[in-house]
Amino acid sequence: MEATVFLGTFNDADIFWYPSPDLCLYYNHVSEVFGQFLRPHDLVIALTCTVNCGTLYRQVPESFENPPMYVAVMTYLGFGIVTLFGYFRDFLRAVGLEKCHIAREREEQKDFVPLYQDFENFYTRNLYMRVRDNWNRPICSLPGPVFDVMERVSPDYNWTFSLTGKTIDDVINMGSYNYLGFAENDGDFLKTVADRTQQYGLGVCSTRQEMGNLAIHEELEQLVATFLGVESSMIFGMGFATNSMNIPALVGKGCLILSDELNHTSLILGARLSGATIWVFKHNNMQSLERLLREAVCSGQPRTHRPWRKVLIMVEGIYSMEGSVVRLPDIVALKKKYKAYLYLDEAHSIGAVGPTGRGVTELFGLDPSDIDVMMGTFTKSFGAAGGYIAGKKELVDYLRSHSHSAVYASAMSPPVTEQILRAMKCIMGLDGTTVGKVHQLAENTRYFRSRLQEMGFIIYGNDDSPVVPILLYMPGKVVAFSRAMLKRKIGVVVVGFPATPITEARARFCLSAAHTKAMLDQVLFDLNELGDDLCLKFSRRKYSPRPQQHNNNDDTDFELDS
Amino acid sequence: MAFEDVWKKISWLYYQYILVTALYMLEPWERAIFNSILISVAGMAVYTGYVFMPQHIMAILQYFEMVQ
Repeated sequence: MEATVFLGTFNDADIFWYPSPDLCLYYNHVSEVFGQFLRPHDLVIALTCTVNCGTLYRQVPESFENPPMYVAVMTYLGFGIVTLFGYFRDFLRAVGLEKCHIAREREEQKDFVPLYQDFENFYTRNLYMRVRDNWNRPICSLPGPVFDVMERVSPDYNWTFSLTGKTIDDVINMGSYNYLGFAENDGDFLKTVADRTQQYGLGVCSTRQEMGNLAIHEELEQLVATFLGVESSMIFGMGFATNSMNIPALVGKGCLILSDELNHTSLILGARLSGATIWVFKHNNMQSLERLLREAVCSGQPRTHRPWRKVLIMVEGIYSMEGSVVRLPDIVALKKKYKAYLYLDEAHSIGAVGPTGRGVTELFGLDPSDIDVMMGTFTKSFGAAGGYIAGKKELVDYLRSHSHSAVYASAMSPPVTEQILRAMKCIMGLDGTTVGKVHQLAENTRYFRSRLQEMGFIIYGNDDSPVVPILLYMPGKVVAFSRAMLKRKIGVVVVGFPATPITEARARFCLSAAHTKAMLDQVLFDLNELGDDLCLKFSRRKYSPRPQQHNNNDDTDFELDS
Repeated sequence: MAFEDVWKKISWLYYQYILVTALYMLEPWERAIFNSILISVAGMAVYTGYVFMPQHIMAILQYFEMVQ
């Protein structure tokens, strides 16, 4: 049969992967029968238990399509025109023809050393300020699948805002990191959280090392360790601080950090604070990583050529700006070959990918003990705040006494801890409720991504990731898109220059298990109209137009195309 | 009726022009400045073409010895 990939043998049957999102084929030698499996994720997990680890994961396609050339030209043209007008406006402000709204020094201080570097803020002053109404919108309800946005107006082109007092109700939320829908305020679900608040209060008033080590913290740490399949774990009150305060405890001067190009600021900050040497490899590029590893092993430290004390590879599970998933099996193989350590930041992927929500380790069917330091946050999929680091017992015990965050930062608040406990038990199925959320998220992801690709948008990233960046490229279109979507009562997050490369501005959609199919259909319908109105459909791929199977008249909201 | 459609189409094309050149982000008086500069430059080019094109075409044809 055409285009199948042989995966391995399992119980006398040869297993083939057939390139379709739902099917997997098997051929049984004994009975000489061909059959079909659904849900290849489960099959892959079962197979990897019995056959070699890491060789049987399904190759999910990742795409980073390039736009046509005219798009890049127009993007630069747009930025060029705005820059010219920026210079013109700066000139007017310097001459005094226009009132200057930004911080200025006083007249008496003109002969001192300048306090404000004007040119550094050029971009902020002349581009961001003009269109600032698309960011920092005040929200006045729970950030669930729908929320309320407060309306604001600006009389002087976004230098100042004033609230009108009205709210835009029931805006569909496509920007919150609410992957499993745990951002809820239902009294029944939150009963245990309320009980714990009554028991412990809200503030802990101490650090973990002093008086702040509550029994509920220990309970959560054991649950996190069981959830991930590792020996032990430690929790921290803030997700960003988990990275930035613990990496300095793990590596120091004389160590080497190999970090991915697109790592999050918390990882970069932690790496810089530690004082180790940092080498950057191209995003998800295993040849680049291997070359750096060989260089590290061969040449050692820069001047003395002594061997590095430690080599730490830092990667993330899902990169939130691209939607791409790390190539974990390749990295684990490289790490074993070159004797390096691996630090995996699963901020966006824990709870959101994998058949039962255990993250990228489960997605690829790897053994959790292969990853030396597993880190994650509770902000995204668990609807709470804070982070964890998990791994071997010796590692976690070392961090308990040597990490800045453990020693100096305030411990996690009890209701937040209980929320994480409740969410984790729900995902694991321990409290009796059905484990439907992870599957619902996977269905929503596949549906949304496939429909968007059919429509002709350029989407980045892996087909399994719930983060969907739609490329908009031109600065004018980015702003018009955000405003038009809000007018249609859909809240999106658009990202522009400093966070992304200058030509690749995008709108980032975060799917949630709490989104119903009706909401997704509404969003897709509006995206289709806006895509035609603003000419955003740049993709040059040919997708066969499937017959319209997704009616809005359907009563069921769990069905998916097959 | 036809005027309505034509007007809508022209209006949509103007909207695309505004988006692509990022004039959408600028204030109305800045758009006015840019549009007037663009129209004046384009107008001058068209006028120059209108005035000098016949002479240029005759010169080219004479160079190629097609016409005396």
